[in-house]
Amino acid sequence: MRLLLVEDNVPLADELTAALQRQGYAVDWLADGRDAVYQGQSEPYDLIILDLGLPGLPGLEVLAQWRAGALATPVLILTARGSWAERIEGLKAGADDYLSKPFHPEELQLRLQSLLRRARGLANQPRLEAAGLHLDEGRQCVTRDGDDIQLTAAEFRLLRYFMLHPRQILSKSHLAEHLYDGETERDSNVLEVHVNHLRRKLGRSVIETRRGQGYLYAGSAA
Amino acid sequence: MKSIQGRLSLGLVAVLMVVGLVLAQSTLWLFEAGLQRYLQAGLRKESENLLAALVRGEGGMQLDERRISAAYHRPFSGYYFRIDFPQGTWRSRSLWDLDMPQPTSAGLEKSADLGPDGQQLLVFRADYRRLGQNISISVAQDYSPVRDGFRRMQQIGLGLAGVALLVILVLQRITVTRSLRPLERARQQIAQLQQGQRSQLDTQVPVELEPLVAQINHLLAHTEDSLRRSRNALGNLGHALKTPLAVLVSLASSPQLRQLPQLSAQLHEQLEQIQQRLARELNRARLAGDALPGAQFDCDAELPGLLSTLGLIHGEGLLLARDMPGGLLLPWDREDLLELLGNLLDNACKWADSEVRLGIAEQPEAYQLWVDDDGPGIPQDAREHVLTRGSRLDEQVAGHGLGLGIVRDIVDAWGGRIELRQSPLGGLRVSLELPRKAR
Repeated sequence: MRLLLVEDNVPLADELTAALQRQGYAVDWLADGRDAVYQGQSEPYDLIILDLGLPGLPGLEVLAQWRAGALATPVLILTARGSWAERIEGLKAGADDYLSKPFHPEELQLRLQSLLRRARGLANQPRLEAAGLHLDEGRQCVTRDGDDIQLTAAEFRLLRYFMLHPRQILSKSHLAEHLYDGETERDSNVLEVHVNHLRRKLGRSVIETRRGQGYLYAGSAA
Repeated sequence: MKSIQGRLSLGLVAVLMVVGLVLAQSTLWLFEAGLQRYLQAGLRKESENLLAALVRGEGGMQLDERRISAAYHRPFSGYYFRIDFPQGTWRSRSLWDLDMPQPTSAGLEKSADLGPDGQQLLVFRADYRRLGQNISISVAQDYSPVRDGFRRMQQIGLGLAGVALLVILVLQRITVTRSLRPLERARQQIAQLQQGQRSQLDTQVPVELEPLVAQINHLLAHTEDSLRRSRNALGNLGHALKTPLAVLVSLASSPQLRQLPQLSAQLHEQLEQIQQRLARELNRARLAGDALPGAQFDCDAELPGLLSTLGLIHGEGLLLARDMPGGLLLPWDREDLLELLGNLLDNACKWADSEVRLGIAEQPEAYQLWVDDDGPGIPQDAREHVLTRGSRLDEQVAGHGLGLGIVRDIVDAWGGRIELRQSPLGGLRVSLELPRKAR
């Protein structure tokens, strides 16, 4: 899951980036509203966290420009201005959720999960479920037939992306774009290695390879 | 305070009556004086005629009957004379058996009504010397017709003046009402202002009212402006405090602290307290309260946005409904009311299973607001405790809304009452009674 964090407070951005990375998100961080308008539209983000008090361009203006440019990525507004009048304004401008500062890191995590599932049209359950597998995002482990299977951070990220996009052929470049932030070197071999690790842990059939097209998540039921 | 209309009428009546009486009386007096001067000239001529009629006869002086007017022969004709000379007195035949006293000095004298038939006589006495004797001739004329004429004139004048006064009063009332119409309009607009039906007074007013209306409008704009500025400043303060607080909260749950669970828990608890306090005080400071008389909240315009916001936050599975008359305007500041309803509904949404209903009803004295949910509710004996300061209704549900604390602050600022009841939906009903502004 690739995520854009637009926040001008450096210590908070550092904290959030670290926490989000621990939760398996690839995070790009921007502090200026004008940069955010451009980068939000040019990079394929799965989710955007937007602060409202930004230098350069106010957050609401950034959001309005994104929505005017038909950007459909879910946006979570993160702001210290927590009055209901401002909340309604934010959601009218096209935000999908609103979290006021200060917040609990767990709350942010839950909101992000639920936003991602809602964006994929999935029910908002504590555990992600797709084709026989249950993914516990808090503990970063997968359950199959009642057995817990531990995953590494990279495997967790890959499997979560597959499970959020079931029955969908995902090319290697698509996966790389959504799993790594803008600064990481994208090496398709690394992806293959992680896919192989997942197959070893969960069974060969869990991810099918479509030659020349990419991968398809089939789950354990297939 | 008496009305301007009443004062104007009273003043006008008093002035008109004083001026009218003085004017009418002095006119009559001047007229009468002029008339008497004219009559005096006539009487002087008469006395000279009589003087000329005095001739020397056989027995001394005698009056030539042929040379005096016939009116002096007819009894009570209204024309009389008496001639006094050292040997005696001659009286005109018209006096008949009456005695007309001789005026004490020469000149005109208005005698009391001692004439015949109650006639009032105007007597003129002139002293002459003729035929070697001092002769005093007094000529009198009946003044009653003139006096009666004046009386009638006075009465007619009084009647006319009364009618004129009435007409003037009616006309004045119409004029005053017409010219006070802008004041009346301003009064109605101020009433509308308090009802929240307008935010500014109409500036199309007469010159006299312009400074007043401009001042009121200026005050309104100033209050609104300073409220906005203070809200903005509070927002900035909140931003400045909450962002570092967010960093601290995040740090407190960082992996490095997991080895020290006690420290982490304490940090969390303290930070939570700071945060609660901060949010509550900032919210309280943001309240407009009664500062803005022109504030209003258009339910039809604002509530759909609020409900869809809540729907978005709490998921699609929740039914959010509202029961209220259409076109309802509430006389409170938009942000205050959004904050109140937002917190109430948010609280209800956190507890509800599937349904939350907001109701607003207008009553003569107050507005009734209620929020129902179909959640677990609160047992009767715990309700009072929940309402007491500082306790959180939502502490078992994820999130950190301040629940009823902020709602209480707002309701207190408006002088309203808050009550917790059993909802017909099965859960809790939070019921508010907000009095209309009494001004």
